[in-house]
This record gives sequence, C-alpha cells and structure tokens, in this order.
Amino acid sequence: MPQMPRREIRAAEEFRGASRLPSEEFRREIGRVGMLAVAALVLIGIGPWALGQYSVDILIRSFLYGAIAVTLDILWGYTGILSFGQSAFFVIGAYACGLTFVHIGLTPFTALGALVGGVAVAALVGALVGWLAFGYGVPALYISIATLVLCVVMVQVLYSGGVYTGSSSGLSGFDTFDVSMAGWFWIAGAALVLVVALGWILVRSDAGRLLVSIRENEQRCKYFGLATGRIKMQLLAGSAIVAALAGYAYAGYTDVVAPDLGGFQFGTELVIWVALGGRGTLLGPACAAVLIDFVSAYLSGSLPFVWQLIVGVVFIAVIVVMPRGLGPALASPVRRAWRRKAPARPVTARLRPAEERNAAAEPAFGGGPTAIEITHLSRRYGSLHVLEDISFSARGGELVSLVGPNGAGKTTLIRCISDGRERTSGRVAIEGHGIGRSAPEYCARLGLGRKFQTPNVFEALTVAESLRIARARIERPSFWRCDDAIRLPEAAMQVVRTTGLAEQLATRVRHLSHGGKQALELAMVLATEPRVLLLDEPTAGLTKPERTVIGKVLVDLVQRHGLCVLLVEHDLEFVREISSRIIVLHQGRIVLDGNVEDVVSSELVRTIYVGEPQAIGEEAG
Amino acid sequence: MTSLLLDIVTTAGILFAVSVGLLIVFGVQKIINFAHGAFLTIGGYTSLVVTHFHLDPWLAEPLALISGAVFGAAVERIIVRPLYRRPLDAILATWGLAIVVVQLITIGFGRGVQFVQSPVAGATRVLGTDYSLYRLIFLAIAIAIGIAIAAALQGTRLGLVARAVIMNEDLARGLGINSDLVRFATFSVGAGLASLAGALLTPLLSVDPIMGVPWLLNAFMLVMVSGTSLVSLALACLVLGGAQVVVSSYGSPVLGGLTIVVLAAIVLRVRPAGFARA
Amino acid sequence: MSGAALEVEGLTSGYGEAMVLRDVSFSLPAGQVLAILGKNGMGKSTLLKTVMGFLPAAKGRIRIAGEETTGLPPHRMTRRKVAYSPQEQAIFQDLTVDENLRLGLASDRFYERERARVAAFFPFLATRRRQRAGTLSGGEQKMLLVARALLFRPRLMLVDEITEGLQPSITRRVAEVLREELVALGLAILLIEQNVSFALSLADRYAVLARGEIVASGKVGEPGAEAAIHEHLAV
Repeated sequence: MPQMPRREIRAAEEFRGASRLPSEEFRREIGRVGMLAVAALVLIGIGPWALGQYSVDILIRSFLYGAIAVTLDILWGYTGILSFGQSAFFVIGAYACGLTFVHIGLTPFTALGALVGGVAVAALVGALVGWLAFGYGVPALYISIATLVLCVVMVQVLYSGGVYTGSSSGLSGFDTFDVSMAGWFWIAGAALVLVVALGWILVRSDAGRLLVSIRENEQRCKYFGLATGRIKMQLLAGSAIVAALAGYAYAGYTDVVAPDLGGFQFGTELVIWVALGGRGTLLGPACAAVLIDFVSAYLSGSLPFVWQLIVGVVFIAVIVVMPRGLGPALASPVRRAWRRKAPARPVTARLRPAEERNAAAEPAFGGGPTAIEITHLSRRYGSLHVLEDISFSARGGELVSLVGPNGAGKTTLIRCISDGRERTSGRVAIEGHGIGRSAPEYCARLGLGRKFQTPNVFEALTVAESLRIARARIERPSFWRCDDAIRLPEAAMQVVRTTGLAEQLATRVRHLSHGGKQALELAMVLATEPRVLLLDEPTAGLTKPERTVIGKVLVDLVQRHGLCVLLVEHDLEFVREISSRIIVLHQGRIVLDGNVEDVVSSELVRTIYVGEPQAIGEEAG
Repeated sequence: MTSLLLDIVTTAGILFAVSVGLLIVFGVQKIINFAHGAFLTIGGYTSLVVTHFHLDPWLAEPLALISGAVFGAAVERIIVRPLYRRPLDAILATWGLAIVVVQLITIGFGRGVQFVQSPVAGATRVLGTDYSLYRLIFLAIAIAIGIAIAAALQGTRLGLVARAVIMNEDLARGLGINSDLVRFATFSVGAGLASLAGALLTPLLSVDPIMGVPWLLNAFMLVMVSGTSLVSLALACLVLGGAQVVVSSYGSPVLGGLTIVVLAAIVLRVRPAGFARA
Repeated sequence: MSGAALEVEGLTSGYGEAMVLRDVSFSLPAGQVLAILGKNGMGKSTLLKTVMGFLPAAKGRIRIAGEETTGLPPHRMTRRKVAYSPQEQAIFQDLTVDENLRLGLASDRFYERERARVAAFFPFLATRRRQRAGTLSGGEQKMLLVARALLFRPRLMLVDEITEGLQPSITRRVAEVLREELVALGLAILLIEQNVSFALSLADRYAVLARGEIVASGKVGEPGAEAAIHEHLAV
C-alpha cells in the first residue's frame, strides 16, 4: 500500500499541469462578478436620466420581479425545489405595507414595523410550507402542490377580507414614502444587483455545492446524516423573505396592492421566466424576468394578447427543445469562443487528515464494545413476512457478512437498520442508542454509514466536491467561501489513495468508471466517520484487482480502526477471505450465525444458497 | 336536507367528469397535464359556437369531445412526447400550452364573459324537492362516463393493454405493446373528456377564457389524492366535493372554493397514497 | 437467409456512458439452446435487454432470423416471433392469470386455442384463470411467465434467470416443457442462468460472460467444456 510521503498532496498537479484550488477559482469569479456588478450599478445610476419616465416606471417593477426570480432559481435551478408560490410571499410583503399604511398610517415607526412584520410572516409561512413539504416520506412533488395551494388560499383570504383588504380591487392611494421615481429606480436596481451578487456567492460557496448535491441525490445526502429537509425549509423561508421585501418595495412604490399579485398565475410566470432565462444560472433568470416584464409592459398596449401568446409559444419551445433555457443556449457560443483562448482549468483541492473524533475506540479484533444490536426485528408487507424475528449483535472490530439467496431479505435488513420507519417490530441500537422511528439522517448521526448496492453518488459534482459534501455534517460548509482543504479521516484517506481517486479529485463523478464510483461512495461514507458500516454488495461489477483493494481496505477498517462492518455479499469466496463471522439468511430468518469455516462448510448453506446440492461445486469452487 | 344531499352527489358528479380525463392521462403517461383546464375551456367555447350558430344544444357535447380529442392528439405528438422522461418539464410545457390557448381564445372570442344556451331548463321533482334537472342529467352523464371508462378498461382488449401499460410499461413493451401508441390514444381521450366536461359545464356557468383554471386546480388535487384508480377518484370527488358543498352552504362560498385544494393537500401530507389503496 | 435464429456481432452496450457489454459476438442456430453463464453483474441481463431493444447498442449489429433488428424498439420484436422473459417484475401482479396470458398474444383471436395448448403444460393455468397473478406462489408465477412467452409460438426465446428461487421439481418441469417446445416449435432459446446444472441440461452450446466479454464458449458435452466453465465460474 503506497504511503504518501507528504502530509498533503495537491493531486491535480500530477493529473494535469494547470489546475486551480477552489479558493483561487472563487476569487476569480468574485472578481468577475464584482466587475459586472459595478457595471450594472453604473448603468442603473445613469438610468433615470437616460431612459424615459415610462421605462423607468416599468423597470422599477421589473427589477423587483428579477430579484424574486433569482431566489426562485436558487430554490429550483440549484436545489430542485419547484415552487409555484413565490408570488404568495410577494403579496404578503405588499399587503404588510398596504394594510399598515392604510389602516395605521405612515410614520417611520410603522414603516419599519410593517417591513419587519411582513418579512416575519412570509418567513413563517415559508417555514410552515417547508415543514409540511419536506417531512419524512413526503413525495418530492408535494412542494409544488403545497405552494400552488398556498397561492390559492392567499388570494382567497385577501378577497374575503372585505373593506379591510379592499377585497378584489385591493388597496390603493395610501400615503407612502416620499421617494422620487429615480430614487426608487436606484433602490430597486441596487437590490437586484445585491441579490444576484449574494446569490452568486452562495451558490459558488461550499454551501452552494451542498444545495446542488441535494438536487442531484437527496437520498445520499440523508444517509450522510444531513438534515436536507431542514436545509430546504430554511432555503424556502429565506426566499420568502426576499420575495416579501420585494413585495413591500412594490407596494411602497406603486401605491397599489391587489390580491392577484399573490395568485398562482404570477407564481407560474416567475417559473416561466426562470426556465426561459436558464435554470441554475442566476443571471439568466434575472435578465429574463427584467426583459420579459419590461417588454410585456411596452407591448401590452399595442399587442396585448399576441405578446402573451408569443411568450407562451417560446416558453413551450424552450422547454421542449432547450431544457437548459435560452440564457445558456445563447451564452454557450460566446463561452466557447472565450474558452478557445483560455481553456478551462480543473478545480481540485488539497487532502488533509482530519482530527478524528472517534479515535478513542480501541482497535481490537472482535473485542470492541457492542456496536450494533438487533433484537426480534421483523418486517412485513401486508401478509408477506420478509424478515422474521432477526436478533444478533456485533462489536467494533467485527466484519460480519450477511449471505443468503436472492429474496432472503438481506437488503431489507440493511434498510431496517438504517431507517427507523422501515421495520414492523423489534429494536435496533447503534452503539447503545436505539434508532427508534428516526429518519435515515438521524440514524446516520448515531454513527451509521450505509453504502448502497449500485453506486449512489453525485454524478454532476467532482470527486473533491463529493468528498466535501460527505464531510458537511461534521464541518459546516461556509456560505461565502470555498475551502481548499478536504479533511478526511484516515480510513477514507486510505480508500481515496489506494484506489487512485486522489489523482482524480477534479474529475466529474459521471466520468468515473463503475469501480471508481463504488470506491468514491465507500470513501464518502467513511468520511462521515461511521462506527458501524453497512455495505450492500460493494464489489458488484468490480474487476478482480479492484475487489482485492476493497477487501484489504475493509479488513484494515475493522482491524486498525475498530469499525463494525456489516457486509451483504453474493461472492462466497470474497466473504470467506475477509469476514470474521457469517450470518446466513434464508426466507427472512437467520438460519446460521457462526465463524467462517463452520458456515462455509455447512451442508445446510450449500443446499439453500444454491438451491441444488450439486450446483455448489460450480458456485463456490 | 334532501337538496343538500342532491347538491353533494351532483357536485361529485361534476368533479368526477372534470377530473377523469386528467386521471387517465396521469395513469398512463405519469405526467400531469396542466393544459387540462385549457381543454376544458375549449369544450366551453365549442358550446358557445353551437349556441352561436343556433344548433341543437345537445350537439355541443359530441363536438367538444371530438375537438378536444383532435387537439389533444396534436399536442401529444408535438409537446408531450418529447417530455416523456421529464415529467416536471411536462407540467411546465402543458402550462405554457394553457397560456397559449387562453390567449388564442381571447383573440378569437374576446375577454368577456359569455353565456350558452342550456339544452334543458327548469327543475324537476325528486325525493320530494324541486331540483335542477340539468344537474341531475349531468350526474347521470358523469356516471355513464365512469361506467363506460371502467367497462372499456375491464372489458376490452384495448383496456387490458392500457392497464398493462399503466402497471408496468417496460414489461408491456416486451410483450409487443406499442406503448407510444397507447400514450397517444389516452392523451387524446383524456383531452376529449376534459373538453366534454367543459361543454357539460356551460349551462351551469358562464364562459370566459380562464374558466378552466379553477377546475384545473380542483381536478389536479383530486387526481393527486386518487392515484390511478377510478374508484378512488369517485370516492375523492364524493368526500371532498361533499365537504365543499357543506362548507359553502354553512360557512362561506369563499371557503367552499378552497375546501378541495386545502383538504386534498392535508390528505396528501398525512397519507401520500391519498384515497388509493396504499 | 441464414439458418441462425439470432446473430450478434461486435455488440457493445450499457447504461449511459458505462459500457457493461463489450464486443460480444455469437450466433444461435434455429432449434438450439445457447446458455450464457456468468456471475452477477457480468452483463448477462444487459445482453438480453439490448437484443430485445430496451437498451440501444452503442456498437455492433443484431440479426434475428437473418434480418437486422439493431435499434428497433421492443414492441417490434414480438412480430419477429421473439419472446422475452425478464428476470424481475415479469408478470402483472394486479392482473389475473388469464389477463396475463392474453397479453402474450397480439389479439384475442386464437387465445382460447393457444391457452389450452400451454395449459396442458401447467394445469393450474386452466383451473385458476381468475386468480390475481400476484397471489400465485413464486414458482407458479415463473410457470405463468414461461407459458405466456410460449403462447404465441415464438421462434426465439430470451430467458433471464428462470430458475431463480425455484424449487427443483418446478425447475425440472420447466426444463421438460422447454425441451418439448424446442422440438414442437423449432424454437431457439437464449438462456441466461446462474443455475449451471439446469443450463447445461438444456443447452447445446454455452458461453461464459465475464466483465462484459465472452471469455469461453463451446459445445456442451465436448471434452473440456465442463472444466472450462468451472474455471471461469469458480471463485
């Protein structure tokens, strides 16, 4: 096993001459964005003089819409949360302003109160919707449904408010801020630039990668112990705050609020703008929102319905033909020309050893404390008993293999251990703590790591980014920086180095081989510093040398790091080589539990494992 | 009391007729057709055209069924088929289509609210009260639609093939079933049924370019809680539609308008399978 | 037209960018059985899915009864008299036994005749026609699967792990039925198996797939065949 002489390696130096560290890349991007932002601010600064009054009037509104589109892009384009309801948060801000100024009047105090109140209500509603939509086992589509319903409810509430909310005509003509149109233009324009810039920093930061990883593979994130539901809820609440602020400014400027601002038609219009501008580009949705709203206002006089018709047709065409949106489609030729001059350089990272939190466990083969204890576990689907009365325990330093024919319940057992809601009855305890009915992310926090049967990875991220996501629960990723170092515990480091991943840190995961993906998932799981490791056929589809490497790593994990490994495997010889104990499952029950030689030589195993006694000769050699 | 009960069952019938097209499209294609409301609107305007030309009002229904089916067939080919593996995008694209349809209708017929001649008028005596004859006829038609679809699914080879595609599309393809054709046919039928429902609604409601939107939302939520089962849909229409009638009668019509979407959202949160067998 | 029921030439295929099958070539004469052996994850099911048109072939050609079928969708295969029996989710659990069988024919015209023919092999098909297929035992489900595949008198049958989880008596019955139909229909079978003894009892030829490539092939029963198979399957 090659031991790295240096404590850190800058892997991509060996991999390609000119790579960058994340922080360098981040700084370069910030520089570019900063320049863009300054240019945009200059344009906004001279806007009121350069443009006609009507244009300025329209653009103030368009800028505010653009800001909401940016937050929707972060929700949908980056994190995969399709919300039709940003308009509902917008209308909360708008009515906070309108209601306060109509019924209480305008003072600096009420203005501030309305602002704070509106933002707080929007954030609360956002959090509530998020809590409903991102709970355990709620289907992914539910957030779209819930936000749709939110809009419908919001509009009806405002309609039914009678004189108080102005019902269908809304509120207008109230005292509002004494700010000139140019002033509003600057405020709205600067706000849009600020939202884009902050959004950019967020999505390019380490925390932004986390959002993408949730979109790509939320299940994997959950099994790393990341409470993705809570992250998504916070994100929705955050976007609600921005939308409410925009709504407040809208009401303050236009002096008109109406219920339809909260309708799902406006909510879907925002979605359309984001899709047209290009999901996951921030700038695209911002530009699309401003441009389309601006042109709509201009054309609504001369070509009212035809214009909407054109937008609709273009929208359908873009969705069908250019799923990434118009922005990227237009920008890519430009970018390609640019790239020819300066080819993109891969972004890598430095590997560093992590300070291990769990180093206390004594590496004693088979002699550690009880790591996992399962008592009388069963799993039924209706009348079908998949698992019946499973009881066993294993200690740190043990490598227990679960074998048995297809359909014996091996994967179901793994699922019951890693997700508290899966089992029908019985108890599962990790390091002495019962998992109760906890969701996978909370089971993982007890020290459980699970590697899935087929590689469960983040195809769109690089190897380095993937490893960082795996560490995200232990090291909270920054919202405004990129860390150059990835701190890995020794076990994960060993996998990364022995399988050659260390030389591929800048590689996109989708370009890795099958074996590379299997190794990466194992490294990621180990990066979470588990005490109990569940492995579902980790060598399926691997070449023989790859399998040997994985086998050595597993033995090492158990012997040197005192982990408890539970391995589901078909390959009896592999099992025999590395296990310290074998449990045989058959038709949902444990039929044998003993040391390797006893189990492998057992006639019972031969019979049930292969079905026909004579076939064992071919199968197990 | 009797009239409340009649309101509940007729409302359920109306909701069923409006939602059933969306349900079969969702069942076979696994996508949600957000242009469902637009197809409904097309049916409404077909009725309007029939009134305009002083034709027999009963002609509106078959004409709506045909025009919806033809338009739906075109839409499936051009818009829906390429999005088969992108169900979320299919929602967006069909919503874009709904916008286009609304604008086309506005350009053609104007924004205003218009009225359609009813094929039957007045009330009839049932169970000791006078009740709208048309609503009762509507209920009968809705039941007939439900029975016809169930019979087609259970009793014909085409229905068997459609059920096979709903249950396991790959397996069906391996047995020689052209699932693209099944999708095409069901989308077309679903659009035709939406359109038919739109025509049936017109004697009860006025016609305007966005008449489909509230129905789309209700139908969408009803289908979400029903999965792919006709029986669940009928049950959901009865329970949620009934709740809507009760809330509208004893609470406020505004709350009544919200009842279905809010209750359905709650049902889905508590039990993702909704009214379907889990 | 050549005498081969199935010819595969230089076939490379897989999922996305991962090629599971690399440059596989073989020929299966009409009326014969070719057993594809190999361990899990070696590309056996991928081979069947590609032949059947579920997966696109990245490279290579597939000919069925002399006609090129590369790139045709699955539903066009039954017209070429190809039956496919997948390993997983192979029957419609919520349909009845009868409905499952009816889906094995393109129309209901000859259904009763053909149903009677296959029910002769597996009597429960005649007595439990209205039972929901999901409530059949695992073995009965497999027999239903074989019966459905044989219903339209195929010329080529692609069979994926039919013996998995089967008790020996049913495995034997399935082998008998397939042997009869081989003669009766002039059927050719591409058999994917983990159960080597079952496969060899039926097959004329064998090929061992490892890591997506054919590493050994030959006639069953010729000297050295068993040894070659054991060498590649042994762990």
